[in-house]
Amino acid sequence: MSRALWVVIAGLGLPGILPALAIARRSPALVFLAPLMGAGMAAVAAELELGVGLSLLTWYVVVAVTANVAVVAWWLTAGRSPPLASPPWTWSILTMLVVLGALIVPLTSLRTGIIGYDGNAVWLTHTLMVSGGHHELLTGLRNAAYTFSNPDYPPLVPAAGALAFALVGRGDLRVAIEVTALLTACALGVVGAGVAAVGGRGRPSSRIAAVVAAGAVCMVGFSVTGIYYAVGGYADLLWSAAAVGAVVWGLVLPRSTQALVVAWICAGVASVTKNEGLATALVVLVLIALRYRPLALSRLRRPRVQPESRGLQDVAVGSAVRRWAERAGFVVVPALPGLAWAGLARLIGLHNAFFTSSSAESPVSRARATIHGMAPHLVVVPVALAVLVAGCYFVRRDRERARLGHPAWLWTAWFLSLALIYVTYVLGSPPIKWWLLTSVDRTTIYPQLVLYTDLAIWMAIAFGGGGAQAAGERPAAAPVAAAPVAARTDA
Amino acid sequence: MDVRRPDGEPGRIAENGASVRAGRRPVGTLIGCGLIVSAAAVMLGLSVRHGMTVNAWELSPAGMKAWAKFDRQEECIYHAIRSEVPEGAAVYIHDAAVYNAQRLAELSTLWAVPQPSPATARWTLSLVPGQACSGLSLEVRPR
Repeated sequence: MSRALWVVIAGLGLPGILPALAIARRSPALVFLAPLMGAGMAAVAAELELGVGLSLLTWYVVVAVTANVAVVAWWLTAGRSPPLASPPWTWSILTMLVVLGALIVPLTSLRTGIIGYDGNAVWLTHTLMVSGGHHELLTGLRNAAYTFSNPDYPPLVPAAGALAFALVGRGDLRVAIEVTALLTACALGVVGAGVAAVGGRGRPSSRIAAVVAAGAVCMVGFSVTGIYYAVGGYADLLWSAAAVGAVVWGLVLPRSTQALVVAWICAGVASVTKNEGLATALVVLVLIALRYRPLALSRLRRPRVQPESRGLQDVAVGSAVRRWAERAGFVVVPALPGLAWAGLARLIGLHNAFFTSSSAESPVSRARATIHGMAPHLVVVPVALAVLVAGCYFVRRDRERARLGHPAWLWTAWFLSLALIYVTYVLGSPPIKWWLLTSVDRTTIYPQLVLYTDLAIWMAIAFGGGGAQAAGERPAAAPVAAAPVAARTDA
Repeated sequence: MDVRRPDGEPGRIAENGASVRAGRRPVGTLIGCGLIVSAAAVMLGLSVRHGMTVNAWELSPAGMKAWAKFDRQEECIYHAIRSEVPEGAAVYIHDAAVYNAQRLAELSTLWAVPQPSPATARWTLSLVPGQACSGLSLEVRPR
């Protein structure tokens, strides 16, 4: 455990600390974001190892140095612009301590020494391949003897594990499993910091309530998953927590450059952790793009063209094209590492094992079985819906004053991702009963975690979180020229 | 500047134009907030409790002993492959237990090269009942 902690702090956290500091500033998310950014850099390094050549460590140094130089350059040029809003240090430290405490309790289960099925069959196998350099990785992924390991799975977990092997040796394979568990905790920490930020503008009592809610969400993350999956080397809680982090920072917290970039990083991490993570990240990124670059309904109506207004219309068309290009950029740029891996995997002939052939079972029977399989894992839905209705009725104005995103954003992110997983089960090729039996408790982690996070957010708001802005305290400026029409309450 | 909010609560306008609550919430809203906080807290609490129940076996002495045995077995097989199979050897993994076959492929990685068919392999690997690795032994047969 101590060696894994050293890898996460020194090997992943140090290269990520400067970029994380530039983004998170005094937010308690800083300490959790830095190792995640380091892991993201390791994933990009693994992609370069596979696509170009050389070793993971070489590319990791290149990527980390490039990212840090870029941050320093940005910092020097941004020095003239007004500083980003940051919470007080005491508030950040208190939040960080509570969230860390909530994460340490479930992490003590690392002493059990669990290595789960996928931890062995998928992630340690890939970790050893990445650790072996370009040739081993390429031939290993293409080797039909390794088909069982889902060779097309994205590289973040193997890359972080291989970096651990590079730093502490391959004497004990468990170190890679423990690094995955610690990164999972970091992703939950970013979620917790986001939930705590909901109460950041409220009275001290409501701030404390938000911090408690943040700690609860972190513990719930481990609870809905079970420690077998949470600390046994599985990547499911990691991508789910990262995706929920993107939802909280990108679709719930008030619009700001800081929240947007944290959301992008979380979505990027989810996209290079698992295939479901990439699909969910794309959904969340599209919603974030629409929140930050809202659709203007008036522009969708076709105006009657007057000869004298043709010049104005050209300007409007140019503006619309630019806006759609921005929206596309908001989606593609953060998802680039995940999309690059998907492209690279297809390029070297890897295919997703779940769509190789058509199923003998009828779609209707698969659909029915999927509903029955998913339902027991979604018991939180009725309560979350009831709290949503009550929240919209009683504390909607508090939510508006706090400039939090409309709850429809979070619920849309929940529904679309759940629909994607559902359709995957219905249209996929493996026998549905076996498939659900071996995976549905993991594919439903994200939908569960999103709704538990929503409960915690409503709890913080109901306590008065963010409702009472101090006079003269200005909200962080949105990085966009806002023209919202879809969600009137969404600042 | 004093104003009255649409929900009847007194407030004032801040410098930035945002309405700022000056008084307490109406009783109805307080009851609603209480319901929200209670429902959310109960669900979050139940989830944490459920996690404790689910994890009980893994955290029990018997569970930890079983996982420690599994860990030792993994390490033992890993080293057995490296001591009994030549480096870079083409191996075919033939084990009736799918999970054992996958473990052998995983633990061979970076040392031997698993082959999809026996035709191209020089050695066949399997795990058989034995004493060497906590109830299992590595069997290496030349082809």
